[in-house]
This record gives sequence, C-alpha cells and structure tokens, in this order.
Amino acid sequence: MTFDFSPVLTYLPTLIQGIGITLLIGVIVALFSVAGGLLVAVISIYTNKVISWPLRAFIWLFMTTPLLLQLYFLYFGLGELILIPAIVVGILGLGFHYMAYNADIFIATIRSVSDGQYEASRSLGFGHGATLFNIILPQALIRAVPQLGNNLILMVKDTSVLSAIGVAELVYASQYAISVSFRPFEFFIVIALIYYAINILMELGQAWLERQTAFRR
Amino acid sequence: MSTNRQTETPMVEITDVHKRFGNLEVLKGINLTVPLGKIISIIGPSGSGKSTLLRSVNHLEVIDSGTITLDGVAVNRPDIKGLAFERHINHIRQNMGMVFQHFNLFPHLSTLDNVTLAPRKLKKMDKKIARELGMELLDRVGLADKADVFPAWLSGGQKQRVAIARALAMQPKVMLFDEATSALDPELVEEVNQVMQSLAKDHMTMLIVTHEMGFARDVSSWAMFMDGGVVVEENTPDKLFTAPDQERTQNFLRKHLGSNL
Repeated sequence: MTFDFSPVLTYLPTLIQGIGITLLIGVIVALFSVAGGLLVAVISIYTNKVISWPLRAFIWLFMTTPLLLQLYFLYFGLGELILIPAIVVGILGLGFHYMAYNADIFIATIRSVSDGQYEASRSLGFGHGATLFNIILPQALIRAVPQLGNNLILMVKDTSVLSAIGVAELVYASQYAISVSFRPFEFFIVIALIYYAINILMELGQAWLERQTAFRR
Repeated sequence: MSTNRQTETPMVEITDVHKRFGNLEVLKGINLTVPLGKIISIIGPSGSGKSTLLRSVNHLEVIDSGTITLDGVAVNRPDIKGLAFERHINHIRQNMGMVFQHFNLFPHLSTLDNVTLAPRKLKKMDKKIARELGMELLDRVGLADKADVFPAWLSGGQKQRVAIARALAMQPKVMLFDEATSALDPELVEEVNQVMQSLAKDHMTMLIVTHEMGFARDVSSWAMFMDGGVVVEENTPDKLFTAPDQERTQNFLRKHLGSNL
C-alpha cells in the first residue's frame, strides 16, 4: 500500500483546530482535577464522616465506572434537563473522573506527611488551617508530582473519548477529515505522532518538576 | 525543693498533672516549677512519662486534670472550646520553643525559611528583618553558611541546630527539649549540647528531657528523676547524680553512668 499524506496537509487547519480544542480541554481539566482533587482529599481527611463519606462515595462512583458511560450519562442525562454544550459536558465528565483519581493520590500523600511535621508547626504557634496550608499541603503536593504527572498524561489521551459525544477535539477532527478524504492511516499516524509529542513534552515537564522538588522531600 | 526556689519567678508551673492513655495512667500527679532563667532536667527510663509531661506543657498532649501555666497564664483551658481555644493555644505556643527528638524540620523549605517562617507569618515580620533575624540565629548555632540549603542535605546534628534556631526565632519565654540528642549519632551529640549550653549561658529558661546524664548534670539548676508516672526524686544535679536518696534512682543512674556511682 502507498501512503499519501497530501490530504493531511489539506485538512491541516481542521487538525490544528482539533489540537487547540484538545489542549484547551487538557489545561482546564488539569487545573480543575488537580485543584478539585486536593480539595476533596482535604475534606475527606479533615472533616467528619457525615461530610466525607458521601463525598468519597461520589468519588468512587467516578473511579469504578467507565469514562465513556459517565460522559453518556452527563450528555444525555443533563441534556434532558438543560441545554448544555458537548465541550462543557466533556470537561465536567473528564474533570470529575480525574478529580477522583487525583484525590486518591492526595489522600495518600497527605497521610504520608509525618505527624511530627504537624506537631512542629503547631508547636510554633500555627493554627490547624495555617499548618495545612504552609506545611502539610506543600509537602503532599511535592510527593504527588510523579503520580499526578502520570494521571495527567492519561487524561490527555482520554480527551479523545470526548469525540464520542461530539466534542471537536483532535480525534473527532481527524474523523471528519478521514470521512471526506478516505485516507485513515495517514491521519491515524499523524494524530498518534501529535499525542506522542504532547505527552513527551509532559513527561519532560514532569521529570523537570521532579528534579526541582527532589531535595525538598 | 529548697526554700530559695520559692522566691524565684515561676515561668512554667505544673501542678498535680494527671494524664492517662486508655487504662494506663502515665502521669500520676506531677508537680514542677521551672523558674525564670533556670534549667530543669527530667531524667528517667523509657515509658516513665517524662516526654508526655514535656509534650503536655506544649499541649501536644491534653492532660486529664491539674494545671500547667506559662508565665502565669493557664495552658489548658477546659472552659473554652473551638476557635477561641485555638487562638488561645496558638498564642501560648508562640511563647514556647519546642525541640523534638526527630528534629521535624520542614523539608520543603530552606534552612533559612525554616527559621523565618513563623516570625514572618505569625508576627507579620518584614521579610528583610526576618532574614536578618534568621541569619543571626543560624550564625548563633554555627550554620550561617547553610542558610540556603535544604534540610535533606544536613546531618542530624545540623538539623537539630536548625530546629533550635527555628524555635528561638519566636523569642520564646521557655525552651522545651524532648530528647533532643537521642536520635543523633554519638559524635554529633556534642555540637547540639554546645548550642544548648550557650543558651544556658544566656539564661534561657529551659525544660529538658534527656538521656545525657553528664550534660544534665553540667547545665541544670535542678534535676528530676521520673519513673512510672511519678517524680521519684528531685534535687540539685550535684546531689541527684552523685548521692541520690532513692533506690530506684540509684539503680537507674548505675545503669547509665556505669561505676561512677
């Protein structure tokens, strides 16, 4: 078989738009899922069972069911109630899904900071909240970097699932181009390389961050 | 206690303190006064309650009954709860420096930031002034050259000296040492002892829980032997370490000092 990459060039603007949407979703979901995960972890560790148990049940729901199913539920379920753009549904679905996984990491790393750190901070006169903010959470964040990085890379790949509900990210954009050009392999190769490049950059970023924080652990 | 001690200004007063962990009563009515500018050492076997007593002064352990005061102010206040108590205890703790067996330096902060964090955040000290104070204190413990280094790069002895500088940064009225040299390799004990000795020379009020009998004898103005949650014997260090009255004290010291007794 012979390869013809000229349709890829023809539909390059469509692909670039797809990359833009993928990156936009990736950045928003990264911020949302990391900040949300940290919040969920703090609430589930430091509040009483009445608050933390329903929250954890909610989190488990997202961890134990397929992402695609969650997206369908949100898209068709919420769509029954209110008019909501697919991209917003996608961001929420992916956001909650990875928020659950990130919360799980933060719960482990917060617990791994020794009681001695808490006591040392309290003995200086810091309150409970100030101790969390200044001492416990920064250390928990540093310890979370490797796993958090892995999660975010998985998340970027999972943005492709959003094509199932019609979000015009990279895979969806290429599907359109394939349907009119009939050159699937060329597009598959190109978008695979694009994901490869994005995630290699993220890997490098993660490795850099790990080096920057290694001596602070 | 000798009568002249009664006339001294009490900085820490511990009165009839009881504490239990479940069914185990670890403090069975402890009384102790730490006068201003004096150094009190508490010795005793593991599980004697000496660390629990020290931690109770900082309210890291909550006592069941009795009173502990710092400079005339009650540390434990069962009458106030929630945020009001949190404010109270934060204020009390800002006047006490606590040094832990395992240093507990903040690993994500540089040595200097470890020292200046509390004055910057709690006293709203200007960053530049805090830096000067921090450098001064690091210089005092002989580690000015390590200001920008992170705790992971320090030896145990250096970590503990930074921890002492960190506690001093809040200009505490009393310093509490909870087995400050117990986790150190023998050759690193001396550098920490020297820093503590220099504090003693400056008349810092100190309450020390220690296994270093020689050190306790040299620096203390009063020494107390605890066992099984009670004060077995207390006296001037000269007397307690050379001619203790109680058999339990004698046995304990014989084990720790070898044939010196």
